[in-house]
Amino acid sequence: MAQGRVHLKGIYKRFGNFIALKHIDLDIQPVEFFALLGPSGSGKTTTLRMIAGLDTPDEGVIEVDGEDVTFAPPADRDIAMVFQNYALYPHMTVRDNIAFPLKMDKMPKAEIEPAVVRAAERVDIAHLLHRRPGQLSGGQQQRCALARAIVRQPKLFLLDEPLSNLDAQLRLQTRVELKKLQRALNVTAIYVTHDQEEAMTLADRMAVFLEGDILQVGTPDEVFNRPASIAVAAFIGSPPMNLLPATLDGDRLTVSGHSMTLPRAPQHPGGEVTMGVRPSHVRIDPQGLPTRLYLSENLGESALLNLYLGDELVKMRVASFNAGAEGETVPIAFDIDTIHLFESGSGRRIPLAGE
Amino acid sequence: MRREDGAHQGERRFALMLTAPGMLALLLTTTFPLAYLVWSSFQTINLAMPFMDGFAGVQNYVEMWHDSRYWHAMGLTGIYTFSSVALQVVIGMGLALLVMQIPAGQWIFRIVAILPIVLAPVVVGLFWRTLMLAPNFGMVDFLVQWLGFEQINWLGAPTPALISVIAIHTWQWTPFAFLVFLASLASLPGDVYEAARIDRANALQRFWHITLPLLRPAIIIVIIMRVMISLSAFAAIFAATGGGPGTASEILNLYAFKTSFVELNFGYGSALAVSLLIITMAVSGVLFYLRTPRRREAGA
Amino acid sequence: MSSYRRAATRRNIVLMIVASTLLLIWVFPLLWAVIVSLKSESEVLAYPPSVFFEPTGKNYADALFGDFSILSSLWTSTIVATATTVLTIVLAVPAAYAFARLRLPAKKTMGFYTLATQMVPPVGLVIPYFLILNKVGMLDSYEGMIIVYLTFSLPFAIWLMVSYMEDIPFEMEEAAFLDKASRLQTLWHIIIPQVRGGIAVTVIFVFLNAWNEFLFAVQLGGNNVRPVTVAMYNFVSVEQTLWAKLSAAALIAMLPVVVIGIIAQKQIVKGLTVGAVKGGGRR
Repeated sequence: MAQGRVHLKGIYKRFGNFIALKHIDLDIQPVEFFALLGPSGSGKTTTLRMIAGLDTPDEGVIEVDGEDVTFAPPADRDIAMVFQNYALYPHMTVRDNIAFPLKMDKMPKAEIEPAVVRAAERVDIAHLLHRRPGQLSGGQQQRCALARAIVRQPKLFLLDEPLSNLDAQLRLQTRVELKKLQRALNVTAIYVTHDQEEAMTLADRMAVFLEGDILQVGTPDEVFNRPASIAVAAFIGSPPMNLLPATLDGDRLTVSGHSMTLPRAPQHPGGEVTMGVRPSHVRIDPQGLPTRLYLSENLGESALLNLYLGDELVKMRVASFNAGAEGETVPIAFDIDTIHLFESGSGRRIPLAGE
Repeated sequence: MRREDGAHQGERRFALMLTAPGMLALLLTTTFPLAYLVWSSFQTINLAMPFMDGFAGVQNYVEMWHDSRYWHAMGLTGIYTFSSVALQVVIGMGLALLVMQIPAGQWIFRIVAILPIVLAPVVVGLFWRTLMLAPNFGMVDFLVQWLGFEQINWLGAPTPALISVIAIHTWQWTPFAFLVFLASLASLPGDVYEAARIDRANALQRFWHITLPLLRPAIIIVIIMRVMISLSAFAAIFAATGGGPGTASEILNLYAFKTSFVELNFGYGSALAVSLLIITMAVSGVLFYLRTPRRREAGA
Repeated sequence: MSSYRRAATRRNIVLMIVASTLLLIWVFPLLWAVIVSLKSESEVLAYPPSVFFEPTGKNYADALFGDFSILSSLWTSTIVATATTVLTIVLAVPAAYAFARLRLPAKKTMGFYTLATQMVPPVGLVIPYFLILNKVGMLDSYEGMIIVYLTFSLPFAIWLMVSYMEDIPFEMEEAAFLDKASRLQTLWHIIIPQVRGGIAVTVIFVFLNAWNEFLFAVQLGGNNVRPVTVAMYNFVSVEQTLWAKLSAAALIAMLPVVVIGIIAQKQIVKGLTVGAVKGGGRR
């Protein structure tokens, strides 16, 4: 029987005058790797802390496997958590840190030691067991925190920006290991991050948070390829997609005086809309829209051209850096089958036929 | 190399210039009188019988060795110091933990706690002697009788007098421990406690496994400072009981003082003070040795 | 399900009650002194103690201007405490800077020496001081009293200032040197302004300790130099039961330190906890 289903119903939370969460709903499936993605202050960490029992909602219900745990203390929830700053016990050795949850669980002493060693070996810190947190590097501390979290077999595995304090290279390496670890443990993982790349690569599904609201819940593929709103579109992708004002008339889309025919009919009466297109779906086309090259950014493997289409900035990804001199005119076109459309007022996605 | 030496030479000279006045003042105001104290402890100096004055050798110390009042004072000093410091640490810690739990109004406790600390010990002693403990007048006396207990002569009977002076000292200085612990508690990392809650440690376990070890440096500092102050306590006892009744609350400080200034036997008083000096230095030496952190794992 | 929540509320109420009771223990003696100081001498002796009575300011008037005036003692305490504080700061601040920041021969030895002098029990000093000052005719003199007060204020002030000096970033001095400031100029223009807060805390501590001192004052002072602490003590020894007047006089005498204590509460706690909270790695 798979365990670890988390169901949030109408969670509302305010801190003084600041509304942290505006009645959010969320259903996380057992054994899922679920990411809570959003900028700081969007409510993702507050959500995690409520699932952990470190905070309680002002309104709403939290259920774990059908049981109401809204006001249950953390100890009653069978969870493990990795904190952003690791929260290692500074006065204990790595061994004692990892052993602590077992000790609190009243596990017999003889069983603790092998369990600690096993957990430490899983994250490659078995040789550091005698050290104290102050004598460890950032990466080692992070692993120690991980070991402490996995040493028990919890129902839920909560991670609060666990990689944000690591340097770039270590972050990439640890990311892969985290995913393997979660698969091996076969446990529900809820992962808070502000880094969309992390969410994209790690998560089975994710929720995009903004200002106390959930904008979209879906697989990374859904969120990336079918953003539910302008807000999501403007957040996901690096850089995010270009958003340009356009006019829709049937399946004719007009941008900056240039018309094109959409491959599939949009389910929309027509009028003012916002068109979205990713920088990698913009290409140079001698028959296309004339733009002025403002700045080209060299990203190594590719380059990013900043172009002005009238007053609108358009970013375009090109393969080579020598794409032109600044001030030069660059004619562009959009890959028509990758275009996203959004209602201008509400910002909602306009589905195309068959979507 | 040589030029660098020259630069350091200048710095050294400047540093010496800055420290010299202070060090010289300390030498003159503390070390010189202490040397004089040691010298006078080998003399007979009795202002009541000046004709007897002269070199006494170790006679004062021999006398001290056979002086049961001295050993009594020594014992009381031990009891007074140990119990008042223990009470301050335990009550101060308990109070700090309690106040940390209070959602609002911590500032009231901080203000109230500062009051006993800034009061002159002699005034504290006087207040307790009169307003709190005086028979048929003090509030404590009134409270004891109102609760139906037998009246206790707090400052006039031997054991209650000792308890009273310990209580007075504890009353005045527990806020010190409280404030230090409160500040230390406030500076502890919050996420560590959250981690412990997730690891299913209950409140008692969190205190035992997290708070206490993390507060260790603060606890040791408080103990050191309070022991030092306890060992030099004088004014509050002097004002409350004067060491009495008889010698019931006469700690070493008071005995040395009374021998010198009441009996005017300065030679013997000096010897008593020297023994107090040695005890204080020995105790502080031990405490500081305990305090110096020693690595459990060498080289790690 | 919200039984968790109800338990939390109940716990808070219990906490508040326990905490308030303890609070009362520490406030009460002072509060009672205030009440007694407003009673007439006959009202004071009522037993059980009366709570409702007609308050009178007579005790305060007597304590200030009447037969038991402590005005001259207040003045003496002010002179002694102020002079001690000024002298201590002048000696301690430069020394602390050298200890904290400069290459100094025998630094460790001097540091240990300063610390050791702080441990000397005052009874061990009052005896030789009495004999010495008696010999040179300086008993009951302001100069003698201020010198004696340096024994407890100076070591303490040096150590407190060292901990503040250590917190100044090194870049400050380095920048000053690059700007061609001399060492003395650096100390005066850069360092001292940086540690103004620390100096203020030190001033408060030294002043409080000097104001409250009793042992030296009672034995080395006299009719000429009689600080308020001694005046208070004499009051009880001589006027056994004039407790309303005693309360009024004591409250007046303690008013300066209580006011300083309340205003500078944050700074005092900081001074008390220097070292303790930082983990005690220094000294």
